[in-house]
Amino acid sequence: MKRITVLSGHYGSGKSEIAVNLAINEKVDMLVDLDIVNPYFRSRSVRDLLESHQVRLVESTIENASGSDLPYVSGTALKPFLDPSIRAIYDLAGTKAGAKLMMQYTEHINPDSIDFLLVINIYRMETSDAAKIIALIDELEGSAQLRINGLINNSNLMKETTQEHIEEGEKVLKTVSEKTGIPIAFTFIEEHVKTNHIFAGRNRTLVRYLAKHWL
Amino acid sequence: MAKVLMKGNEAMALAAIKGGCDAFFGYPITPQNELPEYLSYHMEQYGRVFVQAESEVAAINMVYGAAGSGARVLTSSSSPGIALKQEGISYMVGSELPGVIINVMRGGPGLGGIQPSQADYNQITRTGGNGDMKVLSFAPENLQETVNIVKESFALADYYRNPVMIAVDGLLGQMMEPVDMDQPVETREVPPKDWAATGEAAKRGKRNTIVSLHLDPYKLEEHNLNLQAKYTKMIENEQRYELINMDSEPEIVLVAYGSMARIARSAIDALKDEGIEVGMIRPISLFPYPQKAFDALSEKTKTLLTLEMSLGQMLQDVRLASNGKHRIEFFGRTGGVVPETDEIVSKVKAIMKEAV
Repeated sequence: MKRITVLSGHYGSGKSEIAVNLAINEKVDMLVDLDIVNPYFRSRSVRDLLESHQVRLVESTIENASGSDLPYVSGTALKPFLDPSIRAIYDLAGTKAGAKLMMQYTEHINPDSIDFLLVINIYRMETSDAAKIIALIDELEGSAQLRINGLINNSNLMKETTQEHIEEGEKVLKTVSEKTGIPIAFTFIEEHVKTNHIFAGRNRTLVRYLAKHWL
Repeated sequence: MAKVLMKGNEAMALAAIKGGCDAFFGYPITPQNELPEYLSYHMEQYGRVFVQAESEVAAINMVYGAAGSGARVLTSSSSPGIALKQEGISYMVGSELPGVIINVMRGGPGLGGIQPSQADYNQITRTGGNGDMKVLSFAPENLQETVNIVKESFALADYYRNPVMIAVDGLLGQMMEPVDMDQPVETREVPPKDWAATGEAAKRGKRNTIVSLHLDPYKLEEHNLNLQAKYTKMIENEQRYELINMDSEPEIVLVAYGSMARIARSAIDALKDEGIEVGMIRPISLFPYPQKAFDALSEKTKTLLTLEMSLGQMLQDVRLASNGKHRIEFFGRTGGVVPETDEIVSKVKAIMKEAV
């Protein structure tokens, strides 16, 4: 992974869970929550967990006002673009409006040091086939003014996920890859799916840090 | 259809389309915004009507008008927005107009907060409207159940010519779960809407008028007795509930609905691991309250522990349903705080200690 990773994806793609997983496993310094669209289940609900892994969480709410639904981006979110010693992950809302937040950093972005990855779950209706995913890629690249250079296969039905579901997702994403030239960078596999199968890209186990166990 | 992963709010929106919703009128409020957002885009594709009204009050009166013309109509909001709609809901009950209202509950009173809550229980079951009125109301626990009830609700509203409310707390609106959007649901034989104001008076030979105003008190009383007969029919036919872990005839039985029931399930499992058996009555219909579940309780059940994300609202109905036969205990969090499993486990253990 490059020094800065921007993760995007339609809401419900699993982007925020993956952001937390990658932040912990890749030992980054900072996780920046730029998702101002979704009011619940944000990465910030795991502040303590991240701190125990020496990951600083930069939230998209005003400090001590976690119940506020006022869109807000911390000034600290700019820091990784200015300080080359900081490794960071950005959690960016995967909608036309949400992705626009990236534009404020355009002048500081060095394409060599940034990955822009798109998280896809084909069991979400908005990203259920290659044509819809390619349309989303166009939309997000336009809004964020940044090229997507990797796909993340996170095709799942939560607790009901099987190996076949992940393979089905890979099939769709391979078609997207052929048409766009964007490779599959990661495949995330739910903890309960026991398999020796090697999927496209780097294979990672998905630990659900955000969802309560009774959900 | 195969399962898809849906967010609660969008699942309810798609379920409404699949349930035959002709028109939606609403006004935005967190935590239910994905519902109108989804419909604003998709209703047009199905040739249906979507209107973002200028306020909740406008929206519910648009619902009144469209329902009066015979359409299957939906509105959605969250707690303070539902409070604003109470006048219109009372007029709908009075005029016997069907319609579906989805309430994705947040903390109160007043504007409260945006986190999940069940503190609308009284607003739903006692209603905030005037008159001897009732709204058929359901509080599902997971997205599949929610989707099925939303789909079924349009026919139910038509069948009773009465508003139907589906109340979920903010968690169910925001959470994701795999669902089959095309599971078959129960349908009702609904007579043609020969009462609707469709502008066809000449063809029909009589003018249909829709009013809730009856100035003659004897006529108004008669109207109320007819409404009452419908509520009685709902009490007879629509009580819905689920019994969980009741085979062992446990001494302590939890009573919880919606997300609170999900947490209670995890507490039942945690207690089972320690060799403690507790059961649960999970009301699915809030009005009618599932009296039948309480009537069928074993004599071995001594204590009912009411669990709420509010401070003792359903508790009153549990007392009424028990009718003095049980010791009634309560645990609740409110204001948007979602309790943890171990808080319920501790409460159960505290009750057991006191009982010895």
